[in-house]
Amino acid sequence: MSAQALTLFWPFCLFIVILFIIGFYCLLVTFNLIRALIGLELLIKAVTLLLVLVGYVTRHEALIQSLVITLIVMEVVIIAVAAGIVLGLHQHNKSLDVRQLRNLKG
Amino acid sequence: MLSLLILIPLAFLLLMNFLTLKGRRMAFAVVMALSFFQIYAVFCPTIMANRPLHGLASVFDFTLAVDGLSRIMLLCIAIVIFIALLVAAPFVKEEDKRFYFAGLMILELMGLNGVVMVRDIFSMYVFWEVAAAASFILIALQKKRDPLEGAFKYLIFSSVATVFVLSAIAIILLISGDTSFAAIREALRVSPHSFLITLAVGIFLAGLFMKAGVMPFHGYLPDAYASAPAPVSILLAGVVTKTLGVYTAMRIVIDLFGFSASLQSILLCIGLISAIFGALAAMGQKDLKRLLAYSSISQVGYIFLGFGCGTPLGIAAAIFHIFNHTVFKSLLFVNAAAVEDRTGSLDMSRMSGLASRMPVTGTTSVLASLSASGVPPLAGFWSKLFIVLALWQCGHYGVAATAVMASLLTLAYMLLFQRSVFFGTLEKGLEGVVEAGFGLTLPAIILAVLIVGIGLFFPYIVHTVIFPVVSY
Repeated sequence: MSAQALTLFWPFCLFIVILFIIGFYCLLVTFNLIRALIGLELLIKAVTLLLVLVGYVTRHEALIQSLVITLIVMEVVIIAVAAGIVLGLHQHNKSLDVRQLRNLKG
Repeated sequence: MLSLLILIPLAFLLLMNFLTLKGRRMAFAVVMALSFFQIYAVFCPTIMANRPLHGLASVFDFTLAVDGLSRIMLLCIAIVIFIALLVAAPFVKEEDKRFYFAGLMILELMGLNGVVMVRDIFSMYVFWEVAAAASFILIALQKKRDPLEGAFKYLIFSSVATVFVLSAIAIILLISGDTSFAAIREALRVSPHSFLITLAVGIFLAGLFMKAGVMPFHGYLPDAYASAPAPVSILLAGVVTKTLGVYTAMRIVIDLFGFSASLQSILLCIGLISAIFGALAAMGQKDLKRLLAYSSISQVGYIFLGFGCGTPLGIAAAIFHIFNHTVFKSLLFVNAAAVEDRTGSLDMSRMSGLASRMPVTGTTSVLASLSASGVPPLAGFWSKLFIVLALWQCGHYGVAATAVMASLLTLAYMLLFQRSVFFGTLEKGLEGVVEAGFGLTLPAIILAVLIVGIGLFFPYIVHTVIFPVVSY
């Protein structure tokens, strides 16, 4: 690691950790389906930034660049599917409240 | 030639869209043909030999490899896809939904094959997501309320698991700087960063445990299994969570991290909790598919117990149990599908004595239950015996004894299920029930023959198939 990389490393790391915490907090406390998806997005963004940081620190920018682009594509697929499911749930329940999802238990 | 197993499904998936309306009715047959091709390929040495491709074809050269472990998983995937399609006919009625269903099955086949054969940590993640996305859509395809709910829970859990795995991959890349298994193994071996490696192993395994649905991380699994349409439940319980969770954990630990004492005790601990509490939770269920889902959690616990020994015998036993679990759990879900198709319900308190009306379903489900609870000479007995022997061999006497006890619990809930659904006098209102159609009895018979056959020809199979798995 060069000296310049080191000075940037810790603030960047701290930012990623904060993003992780916000994402998990959002997933845990929200009762709204869309907000749960936003929490998920925050988590995936944190991971993407973590990969970018790793590429920057280890000087493997080219490899990490291809990985991050693939990751973004996969993430879009998953979120599109999730949004479709949320739409379907909204048509059935007429609400986006997680507390309505109580049919399955045991 | 290994890339054929990924490229042919991909080609079919693309070409299927050019079919005319009449041709689209053949979609199920196409996927069945693909699964037959895969069964043939597993036993065909020219396809399994991984020669590098030359010229223009080298564009498709992934870092693929197969060993005995991957071959057994490929076989499981092909069998389950075939059975699920046979069962699907009465449950997916609309013409266009059938076409989408077939397409998603091909996608699932491709994703799972990729996860099994790939030897590159990031490609593995990509195929992982392909298989996971296909299974979310398969659950929710008919847009009914409960499946949507199950699919949403599965999606959230699965994505959080993905975030864990990706973080672990990032940490591993920090150490190794390359994504292929060989390079990572070498880098981890010489690396001085023992704290980072422990952190990566921990996060990675937490993600995989979530995917596999073992006991402390199982929240979504019964909902997803019980709400999904019958063929999708077969697929999820048979191969999806096994490949994405259990197989990947085995591959990662064997190929990358290697066994350490603390890793073994984590695996044994998780396995024991799942095996016991999964079985206890299964006893309290009223819904047939929910009971089978908890039973699946319990059997995954067994697989982790065998794997946690870290010895060749333990790993062989775990693989053998994955195969046996695929067969008997698929058979039980086929039986549940037959019961659901004929009575229109899965509530066990409202049925009894169905064996007299549905003789094939009743008999095959007894065979599957006995195999699951480890009664000789059926297939499940041998794999459970091997797991217990492996535990004993490593000196985990207490764990081995508890595993035997958990097997008794399995027998208990399987008998409860048999007694309330198939045995006894016929419940009022079920007099009109007749045996399920050909599409539901044929897969049941095929799987029952497999269970009995593997049990009886066990000495031959264990020397030709199971032990060579661990002799690499």
